[in-house]
Amino acid sequence: MVEAARTAVRTASGGAGILRFLGRRLVQGVIVILIVTLIVFALLHLAMPQGPAQGILGMQATQEQIDAFNRANGFDRPLWQQYFTFLSQIAVGDLGDSFKLNRPVADAIGQRLPKTLVLALISMAVALVVAIPMGIYQAVRRGKTGDYVFTTMNFIIYSTPSFFLGLVLVIVFAQWLGLVPALAPQGDTVAQVLAKPAGLVLPVATAALGIIATISRYMRSATIDNLSEDYVRTARAKGTPMPVVIRRHVVRNSLTPVIAMLGYYLPVMFGGMIVVESLFNYPGMGLLFWTSAQTGDYPVLLGCVLVIAVATVVGSILADLVQALLNPRTRGELA
Amino acid sequence: MLRIRDLAVTFRTDDGPVEAVRGIDLDVRRGEVLALVGESGSGKSVTAMAVLSLLPATATRTGSIELDGRELTTLTEAQLNGVRGKEISMVFQEPMTALNPSMRIGDQIAEALLNHGVGTKQEAARRAVELLARVGIPEPERRAAGYAHEMSGGQRQRVVIAIALACEPKLIIADEPTTALDVTVQAEILDLIRELAHSSGTSFLLVTHNMGVVADIADRVAVMYRGEMVEHGTALQVLREPTADYTKRLLDAVPRLPEGGETVPPAGEPDGTGPGGVALPVPVLSLRESSVTYRKAGKSFTALDGVSVEIAAGEILGLVGESGSGKSTLGKVALGLAPTSGGELRLFGEKLGRGGLRGRAERRLRGRVGAIFQDPGSSLDPRTTVGEAIAEPLVVHRAVRPMSGRDRAARVRELLEAVELPASYASRFPHELSGGQRQRIGLARAIALEPELIIADEPTSALDVSVQAAVLKVLRELQERMDFACLFISHDLAVVHEFSHRVAVMHEGRIVELGATDDVLLRPQHPYSQRLLASVPVPDPVAQRERRIARLAARSAA
Amino acid sequence: MTTATAAQPATQPAARSPFRRGLRRFLQNKLALFGVVTIVLFLLFCFLGPLLHPTDQVHTDLKSTMLPPGTPGHPLGTDDVGYDVLGRLMIGGQVSILIGLAAGILATVIGTLWGAIAGYVGGTVDAVMMRVVDAGIAIPATFLLLILSAIMRPSVPLMIVVIGLVSWLVPARLVRAESISLKSREYVLAIRAMGGTHGRAVVKHIVPNTVGTIVVNATFQVADAILLVAYVSFLGMGLQKPATDWGAMLTGGMTYTYAGAWWLIFPAGLCIVLTVCAFNSIGDGLRDFFDVKGRDR
Repeated sequence: MVEAARTAVRTASGGAGILRFLGRRLVQGVIVILIVTLIVFALLHLAMPQGPAQGILGMQATQEQIDAFNRANGFDRPLWQQYFTFLSQIAVGDLGDSFKLNRPVADAIGQRLPKTLVLALISMAVALVVAIPMGIYQAVRRGKTGDYVFTTMNFIIYSTPSFFLGLVLVIVFAQWLGLVPALAPQGDTVAQVLAKPAGLVLPVATAALGIIATISRYMRSATIDNLSEDYVRTARAKGTPMPVVIRRHVVRNSLTPVIAMLGYYLPVMFGGMIVVESLFNYPGMGLLFWTSAQTGDYPVLLGCVLVIAVATVVGSILADLVQALLNPRTRGELA
Repeated sequence: MLRIRDLAVTFRTDDGPVEAVRGIDLDVRRGEVLALVGESGSGKSVTAMAVLSLLPATATRTGSIELDGRELTTLTEAQLNGVRGKEISMVFQEPMTALNPSMRIGDQIAEALLNHGVGTKQEAARRAVELLARVGIPEPERRAAGYAHEMSGGQRQRVVIAIALACEPKLIIADEPTTALDVTVQAEILDLIRELAHSSGTSFLLVTHNMGVVADIADRVAVMYRGEMVEHGTALQVLREPTADYTKRLLDAVPRLPEGGETVPPAGEPDGTGPGGVALPVPVLSLRESSVTYRKAGKSFTALDGVSVEIAAGEILGLVGESGSGKSTLGKVALGLAPTSGGELRLFGEKLGRGGLRGRAERRLRGRVGAIFQDPGSSLDPRTTVGEAIAEPLVVHRAVRPMSGRDRAARVRELLEAVELPASYASRFPHELSGGQRQRIGLARAIALEPELIIADEPTSALDVSVQAAVLKVLRELQERMDFACLFISHDLAVVHEFSHRVAVMHEGRIVELGATDDVLLRPQHPYSQRLLASVPVPDPVAQRERRIARLAARSAA
Repeated sequence: MTTATAAQPATQPAARSPFRRGLRRFLQNKLALFGVVTIVLFLLFCFLGPLLHPTDQVHTDLKSTMLPPGTPGHPLGTDDVGYDVLGRLMIGGQVSILIGLAAGILATVIGTLWGAIAGYVGGTVDAVMMRVVDAGIAIPATFLLLILSAIMRPSVPLMIVVIGLVSWLVPARLVRAESISLKSREYVLAIRAMGGTHGRAVVKHIVPNTVGTIVVNATFQVADAILLVAYVSFLGMGLQKPATDWGAMLTGGMTYTYAGAWWLIFPAGLCIVLTVCAFNSIGDGLRDFFDVKGRDR
């Protein structure tokens, strides 16, 4: 076993591994996105076996009008041809037209996406600032009261639907204490939204709490794993005080798996945004998605899915890249 | 200098308290190397960790530990940090994991200095480079700026020693510092420790299970058994004229190579071989020009490089080599677990793989081969009973040898008795057994179908010497009775010598020397075999001293 | 230790089988016990409760809307259309728990088969199968659920299928990783070395040793599925009235937050939190239960 492990170490440590690895990840990402387009295309046809004609022309459209529309737009051709047309359209950023908003899907998403990203990034930043120290604290105080308190808290938050959590926050901080507004700021641009930061407090808190519960659990177990590593013993044996050992040695090595996990956490976070945005009426992509689902605006729904899938794939590749940069074994080969 | 009195350590566990150390006394004198010896569970490592209060939180320690008259057990954590690395430092067993993977080597050494306020950052960095040079690392400036993963195990252990040495402590506690290393590297590390002890006057408390290491380096020896001190004295006394029964048994169990070319014929001559170990026709196993290449992250790695070898019926072929030499790969090829990239494999004269037997016919042939693996922890399925595990080959090959359930149970009892375990063990689960017992079960499973060939990959290397001796005895008796051929893979030359008719030495994927056991292991011809043999320490201080001088002379001549 | 056990007569050899040992550890885990007790209580409450507290959950009663808790005949009050809240919690719970259990099991079955095949076969098959999993993970479950509920009219069987279909990805990954690691264990190698078939290795050694991972994960899947049901209802794509689930009750009550009708919010919310907590803690306990390589080694 030791022999095999050493062989693996030897082969992995030499050569242009990391560039090749990233190249392979890119190819994988393209394949994943292609599979997503297939799923989206299939869903489109499940939703609209007749094609989008009815949605665009309206309910009163006659069968002749629909047939004419289908002929003009190629919706009478075989499915595989339609798929390739669909692919070539999305390749140039054309996500089709919304049924209800009288504008291209790409436009609608383009207007909403930055606001969702702002909300997501602020929530993520707040969550990381809280969750990482919390996870480290829990790991260090493992099995003691402090650990139990936070573990139980996270366990409960993790088991609570985020809209219920948000509602409790609204009741306490908006209704009883009147500290912050219960609804998110409105506006078309990011600047307008950011102009009223008080309105962001509860949406950010709701989103962040869920993320904290997940990440601090992860950070806790990564830190516990690292605390039992031999290098910690070496550092202690040379007289490094435990707090310094944690700060200087353990934290950095524990962050690496957490960063890798963040890449895969993106879709979960977007999924959570739709709930937060509809709860607080925040004008982001989640709310757009929600209203489109109510009205059956399929091109918008599937456009959103595609955008998020691409963001997820790019995010996980970025996470791999950051991880490679943090690891001295692979960093040298990137430079 | 270090004075331990009535030290006891108890661990809290789910099954109640466990006394790991039961009131021992120990003294380390200035400038000496004291070896603390014992098998697993003897409490030797716990004793070492107790000195610097590095025990886990579940441990309770009583007794007294004094360093130059200063009591260490009552110190606060902050005071202890002043002692750790400054007055007493430590070297650990596993160099592959002992260093922080994401911190520069130089910084890790400098940290030891800066912890104790020795100099500025620049001075500490400069001193770190000096220390690397001191422990024999080439290009110390470049290495100081590098990371642990760029170094071999031996080099990493040198870095750990450099860290321990940084503040010129009075005592360095080394816990199995060479156990994870190959013998040739072990010899170099021991040379370094000996040289440091002589030149700097630092004392060493060396924890080890290896009697050869003790003979090579220790001035005095203390022997521990089940948490108690059973014997202590000079290395010469303890290793040559042990008084305690346990020490005698321990030393008897250590396999050793005969001295100075004296030959002992191995147990019996194999049936299928003529005089001089020349294989007769139809070998049970034959490899011709076999190669194995692994691909990993786009890089290829040749584990086996055109190896040809044959094993005759009833013959035991010992296969020795260091980590990465390809010896385990060869075993896997023989078992059909590693695909070859070239060459030919024959079992009992039948060609296997491309252009040979495959599928059912191959599986039937494999029934005539038994396998024993290294890791007693993973060689048995944790969810099946011992009886089921032993009966498994009988079930797999029930088409060839039909057997009723009752006969199978009887056969399992018979096999358990053959490996000297009570028949009642059939209903037990692997987690209830010790490592040695599990290896016996593995052995029983391997012989269930009365195989003509057994592939044993490091079957005893995870076991304590006394357990190893018992398992080897069973294996030898079975071999004499059943007369199977055996490919015996081991890094332990003395074990191989005791056990094999012929020996092959592997190095970097090739067999560099192959011949009768005594020829290869007592009069090696190939330079690598010679170096390998010279590096093995023998458990006799006088003999080992001669061997060491001869080895160092040979090295400086080369 | 071994000699001590060897000396004992073989009166209770099974006492140390992995099952008994695991059971002991499971029972030692107080949180897991809390989980089991909570689930049993909820099952009794939801499925036997309506017998003790029969209510009309089909017809609205506009004469007695928004009655506060403590009203005779309505211990937890009534909602905006006059349904008795306590009785509604029972039938809502039936739906939540039923969908959660069925969807969790469905997701586990699909994920296990997918992951086991990918992991054991390996190579190109594995690569293709895992890219499909990656694609599935790249689409947030709530998004997919909303689209599917927009396309099809939500019903209990449909929600089971849909939630199962969006949740199988995580177990697929776990089981794949597990079967890859088991594939190289020495006891699996031993089977192949002694001439056993791949089928035997999978059936006799890989599957039994993956059961722990699968069962533990299935428990977490049930917890997640119950949450997903609630999310779908919150997003307005849940079951049609008069059918309901806890999530729909909670969402309906949210309209009356400012009216102070706490009984429309908190009972349903607490039911969700407690049930999900309970399943999660059973999962934690089962993790101890299945961990054969335990602390006494």
